[in-house]
Amino acid sequence: MKNFAINEEFLQQVERLQMLIKNNVAGMFGGNHRAKTYGSSCEFSDYRDYVAGDDITKIDWNAYARFDKLYLKLFLDERQMHNRIYIDASRSMAFGTGKKHVQALRLAAALAYLSINEMDKVSVFAVRDDKIENVITNLLGKDAFISEIDKLNDLQFDGDIRFSDAILPSTVGYGDGLSVLISDFLTDNNYEDAIDYLASKKRDILCIQILSKEELNPQVRGKMHFFDSEQSAKSYRKNINKEIIKAYKQALDYATGRIRNFCASRGADYMLVSSEESIYKIFFDMFVNMGVLK
Amino acid sequence: MSLLNPLGLLALLAIPVLILIYIIKSKYTEQTIPSTYLWELSEKFLKRRNPISKVAGIISLILQILVVLFIAIAISNPVFAIRGAAYDYCFILDGSGSMSIEQNGSTRFELAKREIDGVISDSAEGCSYTLVFVGDVTNIVYNGIEDKVQAKELLNALKPSYSSNGVESALAQAQEYFNENNALKVYLVTDKDYEKTSNVQVINVSSGAENYALSDVNFTLSDNVPTVGGKAVSYESAATLNIELYLDGSQEVTKSITVDIADKLQFTDFSFGEIEAESLQSVRVAITNKDALALDNEIILFSEEYENSFTVLLVKGNEMGSFLLLSLLSSNPNAQVTSVDGTDYATINQSYDLYVFDTFTPEELPSDGAVWFVNPQKTLDKTGFSVQSVEDLSGGELVFSNSSQTYVKTILQGIIASENAAVAKYVKCGTYRSFTTLMTCDGTPVVFTGTNSYENSEVVFAFDIHDTNASMFSNFAILINNLLNYTFPNVLEKTFYTCGDTLTVYADAAASVTVNAPSGPVSYVDGLQLNEVGVYTITLRSGGAEKVYFVYSAFPEEERFTTVSETSLEIVGEASTQKRDGSFSQIWMWLIVLAVLAAADWGVYCYEQYQLR
Repeated sequence: MKNFAINEEFLQQVERLQMLIKNNVAGMFGGNHRAKTYGSSCEFSDYRDYVAGDDITKIDWNAYARFDKLYLKLFLDERQMHNRIYIDASRSMAFGTGKKHVQALRLAAALAYLSINEMDKVSVFAVRDDKIENVITNLLGKDAFISEIDKLNDLQFDGDIRFSDAILPSTVGYGDGLSVLISDFLTDNNYEDAIDYLASKKRDILCIQILSKEELNPQVRGKMHFFDSEQSAKSYRKNINKEIIKAYKQALDYATGRIRNFCASRGADYMLVSSEESIYKIFFDMFVNMGVLK
Repeated sequence: MSLLNPLGLLALLAIPVLILIYIIKSKYTEQTIPSTYLWELSEKFLKRRNPISKVAGIISLILQILVVLFIAIAISNPVFAIRGAAYDYCFILDGSGSMSIEQNGSTRFELAKREIDGVISDSAEGCSYTLVFVGDVTNIVYNGIEDKVQAKELLNALKPSYSSNGVESALAQAQEYFNENNALKVYLVTDKDYEKTSNVQVINVSSGAENYALSDVNFTLSDNVPTVGGKAVSYESAATLNIELYLDGSQEVTKSITVDIADKLQFTDFSFGEIEAESLQSVRVAITNKDALALDNEIILFSEEYENSFTVLLVKGNEMGSFLLLSLLSSNPNAQVTSVDGTDYATINQSYDLYVFDTFTPEELPSDGAVWFVNPQKTLDKTGFSVQSVEDLSGGELVFSNSSQTYVKTILQGIIASENAAVAKYVKCGTYRSFTTLMTCDGTPVVFTGTNSYENSEVVFAFDIHDTNASMFSNFAILINNLLNYTFPNVLEKTFYTCGDTLTVYADAAASVTVNAPSGPVSYVDGLQLNEVGVYTITLRSGGAEKVYFVYSAFPEEERFTTVSETSLEIVGEASTQKRDGSFSQIWMWLIVLAVLAAADWGVYCYEQYQLR
């Protein structure tokens, strides 16, 4: 049974969107993202004096006729980015009725398609415990997308999540695209180092925190004994009342605020979405408003 | 404090059991969730709770322990002593006939019961109650009970009688109680006034309502012409009374008379004069004026004289013996005797109450009346005896039975033992039904009585009276008269009784007697004490025939007044005002506390489990 499904109508609408990459300092040639360096695109950028050894085919002869001096016509460069999507594949994502993993896979697929549409390469990784599993690697082109994207449905959600331990030893690229971390971030484990590491590699970073409706606004009351789905040794036993719920909401604000502030301090984007949120709203409303897409 | 049922404290054993269950059975709902991270993190944001709030976790247990505790208390029914709060009460309740008089829709007796009920209700817990009921007899209903409910139940079960044996014996009883406890509060609830009282609080429930009554209604029948008259009285004030006469249920005459009240009790005669009536079963006289006591406004009479006459057919087969029989039968004032020869018997088509066959045996046994056989000649079907042979004797002695049976004694009443007659010959009879022997000759029954197949009375004289010297003695005449009385008894001695009298119905042993009192059917066994005012209906059923008689039971004269002034009512002794210790024992109070605690526990449960907040 498939965990997720994205209809064609949505993908057609996604095609109208474009990713805004900030740190496009590197990347392969032939992409669709304008680089800060001069290159061979059709878009004029500037003039500079001719220096011996320059390519004479780029001399602007109209300017020479007017100023009697050789100027070289400079054009903007366009690069192909390599976007990397990291999906939290721990048990907490798929446990219970929240179906956070469905939302995570749906977002990953849509973002991958968007990258493909911009002629960027995209790779999707599953992060489980301290390891990274390649789900889709160097995907390029819509045909490849169609043949490869179904691999996401085979993804197993199990174990714990330790982003830093998993990402730091991996190859993350340098200044060549967007790194997307999709997780519930409900962990004590260190994820800041991973974001720091990605930032140091000049990667654009987007952290998407997915929480279920019950996690965002718990309805449970009375005497409860909760067990952690990832670590059976961890449990929480309390008479859930008004005070506890109030404290929980404060804890939720603290946890989301912590990652939001950290992302902001590292120039990364952060977005909190509900597992039941419409993907249309996420892409055409939330991402656009955040400036991640345009 | 004391416990009426200390064993109820055993319920406290449920408390440790409850605690054990509470410990063993965690009421926390277990649930696995994606992550406990946020819940654990929330601990940092919880405000430090005060120690009292820690009790909130076991508030349900505390409430349940309290519920068990109060259940144990309620079962053990604690009684708290309240010093000097209670009295001992002694109620004397007048249950005499006048207490049946109605006032404003309630009888005086009901009002009296309400008064006592009110005193009991208003008294403090721990009071003791004694109730002495004065009716036909003085009866101590209860003595010194403290249960208000029981006291009221027993009180409400009482019904007034129609006569009274006086309040004196009840007062003597109260005096006895007073001598033991001079703080006793004695109440007399009655409809009588007392000029002087001492240590007795009289509650008078009378209000001087009008009461009329009939008395001494008489009925005579002469040549089938009845004459009806009587007396009427108004106990409270002068009045004009309308009196109606009914013959066999149909109204015949209405008469108005004026009665005075010159001397509190002024009976006024009235008479309806002679009234024409061919046959008469009942006579009813009624006052139509409405008053407080309707029971004494109506009298129904029945004519004893008319009903006790009977017709006799003497069938003669022997002229000499029949002459003697005819004279003996005719000497009874109630007997209307007709004699015919045996040859003419077949032409008789009239019904008779008694058939006497003298030296004659009919072809068929009559079924519509009693039968006497004298000197039977042959066996007749359904008679219960057979003629076997004629025993020829020379002066055999006729001996009366010396049986001790009441029945035999009644028939042989007045017989002179020394006067035994002799008989020359007799008919030897064999019986195949149960007969009672009255006379024997040579050990053989010669006079016996019983019933035939038609359940009619039957007497057999197995000899020709002409063959005896019975006419020389008075015993034979006495026997004939007794047998007639036995065959046609006076069913009732009289038809006008007073409450407390005993009614006796003289009927054939085979007859069934049913009696309907004014309040409904009552059982009759060898006599009935009349304890209601009004008309009693007596129905006699014998051999398919049914006869109805009426008797009237009137109030005793002393009970007919609506207001009676007595002289004095005293309980001798110095009364004390010292109260005894009262008590407080209200199980409902514990039940309310229980209900509140149970509701609170339920509320806590809902609060915890159903997210009421």
